[in-house]
Amino acid sequence: MDLSYSEEQILLRDSVQKFVKDKYSVSERNKITATDEGFSRDTWKLFAELGWLALPFAEEDGGIGGTPVDTMVLMEEFGKGLVVEPYLPTVILVGTAIAEAGTTKQKSEVIGGIIDGSLIAAFAYAEEQARYNMNDIATTAKKDGDIYLINGTKSVVLNAQSADKILVSARTSGDQLDADGITLFLVDAGNEGISREDYPTVDGLRASEITFNDVRVESADIIGELDNASPLIKKVIARGILALSAEAVGTMEVLYKDTIEYTKQRQQFDQPLSDFQVLKHRMTEMFMEHSLAKSLCMKATMLEAQGSVEAARTLHALKFLIGKSGRFIGQNAVQLHGGMGMTEELRVAHYFKRLMVVDSQFGNSDHHLSEFVNSGH
Amino acid sequence: MDTEFSQEDLDFQQDVQQFIKENLPTGGEMWTKRSEWFQALRDKGGWDIPKWPGEFGGPEFTPTQRYIFDMEMGRHNTPPVLPFGVGMLAPILMNYGTKEQQDRFLPSIRDGSVNWCQGYSEPGAGSDLANLKTKAELTEDGEHYIVNGQKIWTTLAHIAHWIFCLTRTSNKGAKQEGITFLLIPMDAPGVEVKPIITLGGSHSVNEVYFTDVKVPVGDRVGEEGKGWTYAKGLLVHERTGLAGIQNSVLALEKAKENARGVKVGDGNLLDVSAFRNKVGELEAELLALEFTELRTLASVSVGGDPGPESSIMKLKGTEIQQRITQLNLEAAGIYAAPWGAQSVGPAFARGATQGYLGGRATTIYGGASEVQKDVIAKKVLDLGS
Repeated sequence: MDLSYSEEQILLRDSVQKFVKDKYSVSERNKITATDEGFSRDTWKLFAELGWLALPFAEEDGGIGGTPVDTMVLMEEFGKGLVVEPYLPTVILVGTAIAEAGTTKQKSEVIGGIIDGSLIAAFAYAEEQARYNMNDIATTAKKDGDIYLINGTKSVVLNAQSADKILVSARTSGDQLDADGITLFLVDAGNEGISREDYPTVDGLRASEITFNDVRVESADIIGELDNASPLIKKVIARGILALSAEAVGTMEVLYKDTIEYTKQRQQFDQPLSDFQVLKHRMTEMFMEHSLAKSLCMKATMLEAQGSVEAARTLHALKFLIGKSGRFIGQNAVQLHGGMGMTEELRVAHYFKRLMVVDSQFGNSDHHLSEFVNSGH
Repeated sequence: MDTEFSQEDLDFQQDVQQFIKENLPTGGEMWTKRSEWFQALRDKGGWDIPKWPGEFGGPEFTPTQRYIFDMEMGRHNTPPVLPFGVGMLAPILMNYGTKEQQDRFLPSIRDGSVNWCQGYSEPGAGSDLANLKTKAELTEDGEHYIVNGQKIWTTLAHIAHWIFCLTRTSNKGAKQEGITFLLIPMDAPGVEVKPIITLGGSHSVNEVYFTDVKVPVGDRVGEEGKGWTYAKGLLVHERTGLAGIQNSVLALEKAKENARGVKVGDGNLLDVSAFRNKVGELEAELLALEFTELRTLASVSVGGDPGPESSIMKLKGTEIQQRITQLNLEAAGIYAAPWGAQSVGPAFARGATQGYLGGRATTIYGGASEVQKDVIAKKVLDLGS
């Protein structure tokens, strides 16, 4: 049993850390989030050059052959810098789908485009009425001769406005809540009949509501099997949760460390705030919550990498804990910064908002606790 | 011991409910007809200034009547009065101001024609307010103070006409002994306001800079060096006012309504036991807090003080406020994330995120929760030095 990082993982971690330190200060990030797209194409190009976009893909697909653990290493460092580039939607979500179930042609086109930085992709699966149930799909794809017509609306689709390709889950048969009868289609973002409402998210990213109006797709656009996308979607979301959790762990670390630094230099009643025992204990608790979240993230990631039967259930425990610990650490970071924690000037506020959004994605802590409990022995 | 209201008090409650029914503007008119509402309260007999003494026009409610009045106003979500003039400065003027100052300032505080803001906190004086450093130096001729310094977290300074300020006139002795209470017009030369945008994206607080601002000695309230004692008594009032119990009761009902509209499986979010239990806990705790407020008022009615025990109200009340904002955030689901001008997802979602973020301030302002606990430990439980 070896829980240490390999040499390559240490190199990867250090290089992402250096990137964040050199190029991703809060003021740099604020400039990027203020642009129309909300991320930097130059930075994306840099990611391509550094090989980070190739990380999780198999060597035969042009990738580096990285494992979920490698992704975890990278995402944790991204979380420390609150990196906004669309790594999660493009590389992790859509990338996983194509890597797992794509045809040779699809892999060559899409994975090739992701790796060289020329293709941005979005994953449109959630719907307003679904409340974290990935099988609740009202968007339909009706067969019409050789093609399918997609109709429906998808919600809070990350980076849709920048996407070249959109991976959509639509119902090709069965009732709205059936696990069977769901199909994944890879759609050109410029297809006729696609309309969007774009908006920023409170944590500085970009998302959209996408409406599909008789959008034409072909059988060649199906990723994986017709009517049987559920297992693949489950896998994609699992990889998404792992990546998001690793990112959140990095964000939590910055929050508790920033709080320690702040309370050491902030003086009231003629002493640093860090001298007060109540605050010492609070920060110790924040450190403890971070440690536990990181541990469970490592465990869940390794179980996934090993293809373990325990992976799915552990993932629920992880997303539950990320939400709960994220809330504790984030709220207390703001509290211990006093009035300054309420301003946009310090990075505390931005990191707190990010953790708030993380809990809302792919199922909040209550949802995953329920799933964890119900899948128990 | 008796929790029943007397017939007299029940009649009063009827009176208040009837008044609200007849005069409270509804819907969109809540804002446009505000002044009519406040005029009606005033015409009723000082109901616009329920806590002011009779000699200044107040209705002289008994503690029970005040409890009933606050409860009915809270229940019906009536327009709130900005607290700074009516609730905070006015008692200080009444207790420590000259007749001239009372005549000059109280009428316009009362009718809202002059807005006030509170110049207390500074970058170096948050929880440790006595550490304030904004200087007020008396001129040689003894006619003016020259004020230099900076205030921060000044709520609504950007729309205020005047500011009441704690300033430092002396560094001798304890920090508290050198503090003087000054009244300063916001349009005085040398006063500058800079906005602070906070976590929920809103602008309500500001920085206020003072550069060689000339303040006539006649605009000092009470004696030089006594400002801290005047303000401290006031801070107890600020802390009791913040519990907002009735607002929370209403907010919890709204949260339940929001949750009922969120489809989960065959039912809705309020059917989910984890969520429902959280709602139930809050309801139960609000019952307890509400009765604690009644106990506080009962103690005042037999000549006692609200005193440090009233710190429980702010401490618990703000925790409850935050937990309610969290319910709404959870109910918003994935729609917690969208920001900006558009409204996507359920109608309550945008307000849910904003409310949750802005709500983080409630345990920080008006005495941070950690400070509240120290005060209770020291003053009520006789713990520690």
